[in-house]
Formats: sequence, C-alpha cells, structure tokens
Amino acid sequence: MHALIQGIILGILTAGVYALMASGQTLIFGIMKVVNLAQGAMVILGAYLAFQLFTSFGIDPFLAIPITTVALFVVGVLVQLLFLRPLRSDDRSELSLLVTFAVALLLEGIMSVIWSTSDRSINTHYANSSWTVFGYQITLVRLWAFLLSLFALGLLYLLLNRTRFGRAIRASVQNPESATLLGVQSERVSAIGFGLGAATAAAAGSVYGLLYPFNSGSHYDLISRLLSIVILGGLGSVGGAVIGALVISVSSAIVASAISPIWSEMTFFIVLLLVLLVRPRGLFGTAARGAI
Amino acid sequence: MTDHNRLWQIRAGATAVAAIALVAGCASKGGGSATGPSGGAPGKALVIGASVSLTGDFSDSGKAVQRGYQLWADTMNAKGGILGRKVQLKIVNDASSPSQVVTNYQNLINKDHVDLTFGPFSTLLTIPASQVAKRYGYAFLAPAGGGPKVFAQKLNNFFFVQPAPTTQSGDVFAAYILSLPADQRPKTAAYAELDDPFAAPIAENIRQKFEAAGIKTVYKQVYPSETADLSPVMGAIAAKHPDVIVGGTQNQDAYGQIKSLVQLKFSPKFMFQSNGANSPLEYPDKVGRANTEGVISAADWFPGSTAAGSADFTAVYIKKYGGTAQSVDDSSAEAYATGQLIEAVAAKTHKIDNATIISSLHSGSWPTLLGNLSWSSDGAPNGEFNLVQWQKGKLVPIYPASVSQATPEAPKPNWGG
Repeated sequence: MHALIQGIILGILTAGVYALMASGQTLIFGIMKVVNLAQGAMVILGAYLAFQLFTSFGIDPFLAIPITTVALFVVGVLVQLLFLRPLRSDDRSELSLLVTFAVALLLEGIMSVIWSTSDRSINTHYANSSWTVFGYQITLVRLWAFLLSLFALGLLYLLLNRTRFGRAIRASVQNPESATLLGVQSERVSAIGFGLGAATAAAAGSVYGLLYPFNSGSHYDLISRLLSIVILGGLGSVGGAVIGALVISVSSAIVASAISPIWSEMTFFIVLLLVLLVRPRGLFGTAARGAI
Repeated sequence: MTDHNRLWQIRAGATAVAAIALVAGCASKGGGSATGPSGGAPGKALVIGASVSLTGDFSDSGKAVQRGYQLWADTMNAKGGILGRKVQLKIVNDASSPSQVVTNYQNLINKDHVDLTFGPFSTLLTIPASQVAKRYGYAFLAPAGGGPKVFAQKLNNFFFVQPAPTTQSGDVFAAYILSLPADQRPKTAAYAELDDPFAAPIAENIRQKFEAAGIKTVYKQVYPSETADLSPVMGAIAAKHPDVIVGGTQNQDAYGQIKSLVQLKFSPKFMFQSNGANSPLEYPDKVGRANTEGVISAADWFPGSTAAGSADFTAVYIKKYGGTAQSVDDSSAEAYATGQLIEAVAAKTHKIDNATIISSLHSGSWPTLLGNLSWSSDGAPNGEFNLVQWQKGKLVPIYPASVSQATPEAPKPNWGG
C-alpha cells in the first residue's frame, strides 16, 4: 500500500510536466489543426538549452526558463513561417504530419551534432532533494515542476481568455473566415500560436532535464505519450490536456508500482482506447470548433 | 563496453536482416571461399582495415574505438612496426548502419586488399561484418559486439576482445557476494532489469546464483526501454527494504535508478549496476558525485589497471588526447587490446597472416591491457570481468583478489543527496 500511495503522489506531480508539454501541443492543434510531431523534439531542445545555460553559465534551469521560452518561441514561429505556412490550407492537416515529423528529425540531427548522442542530465544541488511527509517522499523538483506547470497553464489561460490576442486566437479557432473578415490576421495568429506552443515545450524541457537523463533521440518516446494525452483530453482542449496528463501519469504510476512497469507503458494506451470507445473526441473534445 | 541506444538498434534491425541476407546471398553465389592474404613482404606496410561508426547513433563509442586503434598503430610504428612492417590503418565510416558496414568490409577486403580487419562497434554491426570477414578467410577481432547472437553464429574466425561475453559480465558480482562470510552476506535481493539483451540477462544470471545460495528474491521486475520514470519501480523496491539491489542496466536507466533511490531516501547495503556505473566520466556527472560512493559495477578495463600495457596505453592516450585516466573511454582500451593481440601473435609466431592469427588465438592465453584473454571455438572469451566500486569519486577494482586495489566498501554508505 505504501508503494502504491507513493506511486500516486509521483504520478500527480509528474502529470504537471506532461500537462505543460501537452498544452502546447493541443494549443497548436486548436489554432491550426496541425498535429505537431515535433513537440517532443522541441521539449528536448528546451532541455538541451537549459543544460547548456546551466553548465556554461551556471544559470539555474528554472531561472533559465524565460530565456529558453523566448528561444523556442522564435524557433516555433520560424517553423510555422518556413514550413507550415506554404502548405495549401485544404490539405494542411495531412501534410503537416509529414512536415512536423521532418522538423523533429531535423532538430534531432542538429542536437546530435551540437551535443552528440551521449546522455545528458541537469544536476543541480537540489535535483535529488525530497521532503518526507507522513513517510512519503515528495520530490522537490517534481513539486516545483508541478507548481510551475500550474503557473504556466494559468498564464496561458489568461492569455487566451483575457487578452485581445487571445480573443483573436479563439475567433480563429471558432471561425477562421469570419475572424479574417473582422480583421484578425489568421496567419499571424497561427505563427504566434505555434511559437507559444513551442515556448511551453521549452518550459517543460527545463524540468524534463532536471528529472530525467535525455539525449537527442528521447523525443520519440515523448511524442507518443504527448499524443496520447492530447487525444485523451480532447484535441484542442488545454483543460483536457491537463486532465489527460493526470489520468495517464497517475494510472501509469499505479500500474508500475503495484503490478509491473511492463504494463505501465501500455496502461495509457488501454485507458485511451477505453475513453475513445465512450467519447470518440476525447474527454473534453467537442464536435464543434472552438474547444480551446 | 556497452551497446547503447537500443531503440535505434531495433529500428535498424530490419536493415540488418536485409544486410545479412545480402551477404548470405553473395556468399552462396561466390563459390569457394578465398583464403586470407599471407604475411606479405617485410618492409611493406601492414594495412589493417576497420569500419567504425564516426556518425550516427554509435558515433561516440565509434570514435572511442577509432582512438584506440589509432593509438595502438602509432605506438607500434614508434617501435618500428610489426615484424619490420609499419602499421597503416584504413578506417572507414559506417554511419552506424548495418548495411553500410557490410559494404565497407567488402570494399576493404576486395578493393583495398587490406591485410587484416578489425571490428566495428556494437553487436548490430559486428554480426554482418563478421560474416563478410568469415567469407574471405579473415580473422575478425572485435572490441565490441559481445551479444549472444554473435557467438551463436559459431564463426571460428571471430574473437570478442573482452574478458567474457557481455551477458556474463555480472557473474563476478555474484562470486564476490557469495565469497563473503555468511553473516555479511545479504539475505534479500531486489532486481530491476531493463528489457534489453545486454542488461536483463546479466541480472538474471546473478539472480540464479543468489537464489541457489539462499538469497531471497523480494522483488523482480523487467521494465521496457521507453520507461522514462523509474520512480515507481524503485519506490516498490524501497518498500521491500532489500539488502542488495541488482540493476540490469544500460546507461540512462542506471542514472534514473540512482536518482530515484536518492529521492526516495533508500540506500541498500549493496548496489550493483551492470552498465552505466562503470563509466568513470559519465556516471558522476549524471547521478552526482556524492551519490556514487559504494556503487558497484563490472568493467574489463579501469584507470590504474596493472594489466599488460595498460600503463603505457593510459600515458599515450592522455598525451595524445588530453584529459585524465578517468576520462579514458573503455571502448578505446578494448580497441587498443585488439591491436595488442596482433602484436602478441606476431611476436610469438613471427608471422602475421589471418590463418596464423586464427589458429594462434584459439589456443593458449594472450596478455592484453584487459587481462589475459582466451576464447572458445565460437569466439566467446573464457574469462571474467573485474568488479569495480566507486570509492571517493574514483572507480577502483575490488574483486577478484588478483586485480583488487582497494578493500570493498560494505555496506554501502547512505546517498550523498
């Protein structure tokens, strides 16, 4: 029972990190109807940047987040402008799968050249610290990561719901033609939206590098998990991504603790299938546009 | 020593099958096998061909192998070469590709007419490459690629230049534990094993020996390679409070195990990891130097080894590539040992041709910086690895007594945090 409760605690805290990564993924889909297969590679790029800032300049990975998010925002905007904008709108969704996968491979290649294929990890003095609460270990980094995720997701919520730009995004999601007629520059919204999605990957990357060793190929495992989360939560729904991350992370941790880690990785796919059987659009996906 | 990035190996598996099929097809069409070249005239350069991974997934280890080969060649040439012949290396890049490695060895043998061949990095590449060498009667000395499938080929031209097959590298830990007096021996054990042919079988071999000796298994789980978070597994282990944890690990998961245990504040009396913990440079960087103390692993070469030629190797390595003894990659040492074997055969037989190398290495014991090596008919080495332990930030040999340079630190102290 102790191991099980410990597993649930770990699962909840880890869910925050995945929610952060997945929120960017789902934001991009909500705005552009693009499934960004490069989101995992962008998380790893964020981890590498945090690693470099820490090892070269001693900048704490949490404090590096403003720098890495700006850098990844620029990368995201460039990817959208250079690779996605030229796609024809009527088959953009299908072609974007190929294009974003190509971007993932490109990023992987660049990261391999710059940082080699060796494993990296960010070892701050507090990386392995934990608090003992009623006999259970609360890992400091995971707790901070969880709080950071709540903060970042809160910011994202405010941006989408309390700003003019957010209204433009939501208008583009709900009805792009009408939004354009009303003066919303949809291409600009798309570019900035993609940049925002990449920026969330950067924030998550800093935390990911603190929690796990990584290399340039780590994004393959990550992207399958992220896709599961956003599909479970409902493509395009930021709130759904948070719930999806919680469901998947906690269920995986419980199964790994109580049954077997072999089944753990499979658990989220089983949960995903069960949910999709009942709700084909995911937990919070809607048939109409505008689910963001 | 490690074959890493298994995901890529699996992904490349289909290509490997195709490459092997191609080689087999060529072999069936080619008629009788050609014999390897003879010793060659004195004064003519001894050309040794090798395909190594200078790019792609194995590039870090591939480059380390290249450094080892080059260092040995430079050392030999400084001494006047082998039997009066300068050593000339012809190293080509296989980009970590099983199909390219076949092409490379075919070109080295048929187009460049090299005198001898040395092996690539990883089992994935060694299997098809060794078949090419076999077809043309070349001895194939490989410093990496000790997976069971390599030996299952039963090639008599193949020699794995490490003390033992990779899956038996942990046997020395079992031998050490079982050598302890009964009151110091662990009573309970937990096994966390990566689902990888170079990880889980090592831990399983140890488990069988422990259970036969009465050490109770309180936890055993195999986790898939895509498991990013080992905290639930290590949490379940911590709840059982085992005396010894045996990690059948590669690199990433080895780091993950330690980080999780530190965070969970559980430190067993003995902590063994088959791989990852035997890297003098990488391990402290990944888990934190303070958390290395007392962790045990297995290694064929280690800084400060007194085996034949090790001190010279370490000195020339540092002179040429910089760093310290701790920063020498064991893949370089294994590659250097490959050259040492050629040197030893030439010194003993006064000949340097493939047939002589094959027949010579199949008998007797051969001194290298990895210790004395000998092989069974399928190329599997007959020795055992050394048991190494992290003590005060350094990896030191603790068992067997013949190589030990420090008293084992048992029980392991608590994590440094």
